[in-house]
Formats: sequence, C-alpha cells, structure tokens
Amino acid sequence: MRIDFDEGTLLLYDAPETVPHAEWDDRVGTHRAQAYRYRTLLEWAGQWSDSGGQATLDSGFTHDVEDAARSYPALALTPALQIEPRDYQQAALDSWRTHDRQGTVVLPTGSGKTFLGLQAIADAGVSALVVTPTIDLMNQWHATLTNAFGEQLTDDVGVLGGGSHEIRALTVTTYDSAYRYIDEYGDQFGLLITDETHHLAAETYLQIPEMTIAPYRLGLTATYERADGRETLLEDRVGPVVYEGAVDDLAGDYLSEYETIQMSVDLTPEERTEYDEEYQIYRDYVDSHDFDLWNEQGYAEFLKRTSYDPQGRRALVAKQRAERIARTATKKLDTLDNLLKRHHDDRVIVFTANNDFAYDISREFVLPCITHQTDTDERTEILDRFKTGEYSMLATSQVLDEGIDVPAANVGIILSGSASKRQYAQRLGRILRPTDDRQPARLYEIITTDTMETYVSQRRRSGVSSSADS
Amino acid sequence: MLTADLARSRTRDGEVRPLFIDISDERYRETAATLIDLFEDHLGEPKGELEDAIDELTVADTDYKIVQGLAKLLKDECEFEIWAAADPREIRQRLFERANDRYPIVRQPTLGEDTQKLEVYSAVADELGISLEACYRGMYADLDDNKRLVRFADQSVDEYSEGRETTTTTKLTGNSKRAYDQTEQTVDWLLARYNLALAQAVLYDASKMHIRVWDHFGTVFSYVKLFGLMHRIYPIDGDGTRVTSTDLAAGYEAELDGPVSLFRQSQKYGIRMANFLPALPLCDRWEMSAEIIDEGSTSDSNQFTLGHTDGLVSHYSTGQQFDSDVERTLARKWERATTEWQLQREDDVFDLGSEVMIPDFAIEHPDGRRAIMEIVGFWTPEYLESKLAKIRQVEVDNFVLAVSERLDCSDEDFGDAAGRVLWFKTGMHVYDVVELAEEYASYVETERN
Repeated sequence: MRIDFDEGTLLLYDAPETVPHAEWDDRVGTHRAQAYRYRTLLEWAGQWSDSGGQATLDSGFTHDVEDAARSYPALALTPALQIEPRDYQQAALDSWRTHDRQGTVVLPTGSGKTFLGLQAIADAGVSALVVTPTIDLMNQWHATLTNAFGEQLTDDVGVLGGGSHEIRALTVTTYDSAYRYIDEYGDQFGLLITDETHHLAAETYLQIPEMTIAPYRLGLTATYERADGRETLLEDRVGPVVYEGAVDDLAGDYLSEYETIQMSVDLTPEERTEYDEEYQIYRDYVDSHDFDLWNEQGYAEFLKRTSYDPQGRRALVAKQRAERIARTATKKLDTLDNLLKRHHDDRVIVFTANNDFAYDISREFVLPCITHQTDTDERTEILDRFKTGEYSMLATSQVLDEGIDVPAANVGIILSGSASKRQYAQRLGRILRPTDDRQPARLYEIITTDTMETYVSQRRRSGVSSSADS
Repeated sequence: MLTADLARSRTRDGEVRPLFIDISDERYRETAATLIDLFEDHLGEPKGELEDAIDELTVADTDYKIVQGLAKLLKDECEFEIWAAADPREIRQRLFERANDRYPIVRQPTLGEDTQKLEVYSAVADELGISLEACYRGMYADLDDNKRLVRFADQSVDEYSEGRETTTTTKLTGNSKRAYDQTEQTVDWLLARYNLALAQAVLYDASKMHIRVWDHFGTVFSYVKLFGLMHRIYPIDGDGTRVTSTDLAAGYEAELDGPVSLFRQSQKYGIRMANFLPALPLCDRWEMSAEIIDEGSTSDSNQFTLGHTDGLVSHYSTGQQFDSDVERTLARKWERATTEWQLQREDDVFDLGSEVMIPDFAIEHPDGRRAIMEIVGFWTPEYLESKLAKIRQVEVDNFVLAVSERLDCSDEDFGDAAGRVLWFKTGMHVYDVVELAEEYASYVETERN
C-alpha cells in the first residue's frame, strides 16, 4: 500500500479492502482517508514507531507501506533559556507524553501555557505548527519561539497569516489562515499545537486537525468546556484532556503590584464644541428610541437599527466621532509630554486604543511603536530590543502578553483603551514590574473629563480593582 | 470579490437569495459614478485618504454595505505602492536607536531639550542621504494607509512623474489579459460585476454545487479544473434528465466539490466555487444549485439556485474558439464542402476521474450516425503522452483520431486503435475525415433504459 497526501486527505493506493477509516473514491478510483488518520493507519499496518518521528519497521508488521505522505522533518531543539518547569507544568508534560503525545492540557490564564508548548516542541523532536485564535497571540508565540529556538533554527520562525506566507520548520498561524491553507501544508508538520483549543471545535476550524497528518498533537486552553458541548469532538482530533490544573493552585502568585494614578484632561474649546455636537446627535437618537445601552441586547438593537435607518447610521457615526475626539484629545499629548519628561530614565510603555494615535505618538516623541499592522518579525525585534534595554520606551496599541518572556516596564501610561475588563487585567498584570531598587511600578491613566471615557474608565477599574488598587 | 462582511443576501424557507440591485436604478448609478470619480481623483494619493473619502460617502447612508461593496470591487482594480526615499523600516530603526540616548524628546521642551527631536531626524536624514522631510514622511511610508494609489484600471502614476497622465475615460481591464476580456469601464460594468459578486459571496459557505450546462462545455470544464474542484459528470438531455451515453447528450450535469467531501460536509471549497461561478454565465443555457451551510443554525443546509434567466454577466473569457490552426482550417473547409455530415465542436465530455476529456469534434449524419474525433497536432512529447493516455481511457466504439505525421509516433503507439487513425501532413481533407466517419460511426440509440 502506498500512502500519499492529497489536499488534506490521504490517498491509499493498492489498499486492501480491510483498510480502516477509508472510503472508496469513485472520482479518482482509489481509497481515500482523512489526513488525521495517518498515525492510526501506520499503527494498523504495524509501521508506526515512536522514536522521535523516525519510522522504522517492526518485526510484526502486517502490511507493507510506502509512506509518500510524510513531508515533515525531524527537528532537535532545546529551549535557549533553561527554566525549571513548575511542578504542574512538569506534571502536564509527563501526562501528555504518556498519552502518546496526543491531548489537551487545561491550565488557567497566566500559568505559562506557552512555556509548556516550548517543552512539547523540544520533546516531540519534529517540525511544529502553532495555531492561535488571533494575530496578537500568533505574534506572541512568534516572539517566544524566536527567543527560545531562534539560534538553533536554520530559518526564522515562519508566519502564515497577517499578510505573511512563510512555511518553516516552526510556523505560527491563526485559526483563519490555518483553515484556509491547511489542505496545502497538512503534511509539513509532525506536531500540531492549538492554543485556546476550545475554539477549534467550531465546524470550520475542526478541519484544521482533520486535514493534517501530524502524529503528535497538543491542545492548550484555560476553558475547555463550551456552551454548545462541542468540545467532545476534540477528543478524536486532538486527543483527550491529559491534564487539568485548578485555578486555586496558581492564582495571584504571578501578578505584580503597582499603583494607579488617574489624570484628567479637558478638551480644547474647539474639541469640546465638536464633541458636544456629535454626542448630541447620538444621544438624541438613542433617547428617542429608548435603547438600554448599558445592556448588551439594547446595544445590539441600536446597531441593528443603524443598518436600515439613515438617522441611526448617522448616530453611529456620531458616536464613533465623539469617541475619537475624546480618545485623541490634544491635551493628552501635553500630559504625556510631562510624564515622559518625568520618567525619561524609566522603562515606559504607552498604550493607545487605536493605531493612528500610536503612530502619531511614535512620530512626535520618536518612540518605537507596535500595532496590529506591525510585521511579526519587526514586532519580535522591537520587543527583543526593549527587553535588552536597547530601547527603553515603547508605544503600542496592542495587548503585550508574552508569557515567560515579558519585557518588563516599570511605568505604564494608558492614553485610551477599551472597556474590556479581562483585557486590562491581563495587560496590567503582565507588563509592570517594580524597579530593581524596589520602587513600585506605576500605571497612569489619562482620560478626558466629561466625555464617554469617564464612564469607560470607571467600568474598567471596577473590574481589576482587587488586584491593582490594593 | 467581496469580503464576507459585505455580502448581502436573505434566507427564506431554506432558500438563499442574494439581494441583487437593479442596474438601471438611478440611485446606484449615481453612487457608482461618484465612486469611480473618487478613485480617479485619488491617483497618487495615500490609501488612507481614499478610504476616508469612501467612508464619508456612507455617513448618513444605510446603503453603506453597497457603497463599500462597490468600492471593494474598484479597489480590486487598483495597485498601491510604497513611496519612500529609503527603506521605511531602516529609517525608523535608526531613529529609535538614536532617540534612545536622547530622551526626553518632548513637545514642550525646557531649556536644552528643545532641539532634540529635530537633531534626531536630521542626523538620520544625513546618514541616509535623504532630505529631512523625506525622512519624516518615509518613516511610516510602508503603513497600509500611507501607500499611494499608483494604478486604477488603465490609469497610472509613478512617484517621479511631474503631473499625472490623464486620459478621458478609464478602462477597466481584468487581472490578466489572457483570462479576461478587456472591458470598457462603465457604470454598467461595475453594477453588473457587483451583482455577480453578491452571488459569489453566497457561495463562500457552499459545501456542494450542482451545475447543468447545455453549451460551452470545454470552457466550463476548463474553469472547473483551473479552480481545483473535483467533479462527477452525467450526460443529460434537453430537459435535464440523465441519459446513458454522451452520444445522446444535449448537455452535462456535474457535481462539484473537493477531496474531503467524501467524508464530511465542508465549506472549504466554497471559495473555489465562488471563483468558478463567473464561468457559468459564459454559457447560453445553464443552471446552478448549491448547498449553503448555515453556521448559525443546526438545521440542514439552505439551497441557492441560479440560472441563465438571472441576467448575470461574466467577466471571464471563453478562451480561444479553436485550440489550433488545424482545427480552425478544418472547420472552414467543412463549411465549403458538400457533405451531409455535420461537424460539431466540443460536443462530448468524457469523465476521466481527475479531469475530463473533451474531444475536438463530433461528426454527425442526419440518419443518426455519429463519430467523435480528436486531433493530435503539434505538441511536446509530454503532451502527446498524456493525450494518448486519455484517449486509451475513453471506451467508446465511434472514436476516431487525426494525428500529425510530424509527431514522433507511429501506428504501434495506438495499439488496437491504429485503424482509426487518420495521418495528416499540414492540413486535413474533409473527405478523408468523412471516409473515416463512414467506417466507424455508430447509430445513436434514441431510447434509453
């Protein structure tokens, strides 16, 4: 029997009728199986050997197999930084290994799941594809993998997604890009790592593990269960849950302490006039229709109306314009000016909620800048320079959450942000560290008075106050 | 094509229908004309400014999806380019390195700090041998919003041209001269393209497509192959009922999907089906039905049907009418010859699994006799090899071949079929072909069981 990879499936030439998991494909006149059956098929034929990916012949094999499907190389890597795994990380890794390197590890956010991924890559000894739900997370994995293995790789870490299309022995990608291209590259990787694995259970994304031959699979998530119960579908494609760590074991330990200082600025008279005009258009519309905007359903109703009511459309635009005026208030830059003067010897990260503002600040104050548009490798380079001290300041419109390799700053300045509580808790907790001489880290929040930002700030702080303000 | 968020369709009773626009509606014609002007006006300008101008059109317009959709189709006809005096990444890297020793760089400087920013920018400008302004502007020239619109349809500008060349009318050409007919850009073009794009967008979520075509088989199946779809093909009669052999076929029905469709419903090939769709309006008579997966509901898939009566217009090319001079010459000679036999072009489609074989001609007699003919002309050895392999796969009695004597092959290459070969030098004679047809043609059964 000859096994060949064909667009996310396996063609089985001259297969016996007893071959498992296969269907006869009358369109091409041969048996076909889904790609993820690769390992099972080799096991069935007595041709699977778990020696770091080197297939060898067992004495008791039952079927001769010509394996033309496997296109992934062996890859011997050791993480550059020899950090001792924490007990639960070691236990998770051991359990994954005893489950034939197939399965999902459930650990709370902030417990070093990326670190576990590095260990798994070193352990499996084959090329690996890391799939993440967002470009942000993809970029973070790229930075971490480059730090850990960069010098041992002949090529850079590959990126598939966000405008890049490079397939390398280690490649990072997003669920969307993986879904689009997996039928082309499903034979190139021996290890499939899926971050936030619970997303994988969506009908389209399930085809990512199905269309790859990778004999080793690792799922990572903090929340395995889904409301729709579809996580059960993952067992067949990724493997069972091999380790589950409780939140209690880990909570609190790794968040640093910092003090929050809130600063207010006023709009200039021109900004105020424009703001009030736009805000009034929005407010009038909302009031005349009785939307309850503080409740998710009420806001959804408003959005729906904007798609067929021209006045509603205008109200939505008015809201966006008002938000932008508040977010980019001129006097925020004056305040930033003062803060940069005060902290010019510190390590400072400036957060903005939108790209344009981040670039304005980058030009104005000559600060390195990272946004969603920054290429993955330039982003990794800037973070690396920030970590080594070559750069001491950074402007960003992104959540920087680098797992074990957080470049520490002792001053954070929030110029504007979304009200997502979780995003902020992570942002703040990860980035800020006290200075070497034990000065506590500081977080400044500059908001525009008497605008929608005032409410947003109140909501944001209520979500993180227990860890941040104490 | 449209991005998924710009799709507009309505689903009712399991039927999906794109929300086509009326091409003669003045409202849309005006919007289209405004957009085209706007693109022309932004030649040489940053992409961000173009986007802002498009957004401005949608401020109090609930048709913003239509406006953005039309704009997307126009953007597909554009090229954007980075204009910078030096590599932007290099410029900013040098700036940040230099700035790091000079902080604070601030806007309201106290004594001694007031020249820091200027010094950093001018030092880097000098290092790179570019002007201060070029340094400042070039720093982020590679951002998407800062790229310049350098080509819109057939109009283009470059970084160094003094003013832009203007032509009185803009013509839109397709992405590839070979694949698309050159079309004069008009509002009609854009609105017709938009309706087609709405139909294509429905197909992004398609799991399976059934098509029926009654003409242009060669064109249709070459697009099936081009876009990587797998097929099962059945000959059908004029009413669309399946018939037993290609001799009886008035048209063909095909099921289109992909490798993994054998195991599961998959939207994976929806994008390929969307790409394929414009091939269908090249036919005079066609029907299409597709199964559309509805992610939101757990119920079965919805149906989407289209046909030649929907008035869609294709921008794809029908390809060359004839593959070679030999075929064209034979067709011309046939018109002048006096014979009852009729020469029909590309009338039969044989399903060979991974692809189809469409012989060049069918030769038909009014009394019901019929032969099919394939011409093997001047080609490479690889081509000949694959052609011979295909011919051997087609198992029919009434198959004849015309083979060029210039090819490096002989009777032996054709095995049992050697008698069915007509060897020719530069061109074929009609009566030689007729003679072969007389010998090998078979009566077409009119009944089917």
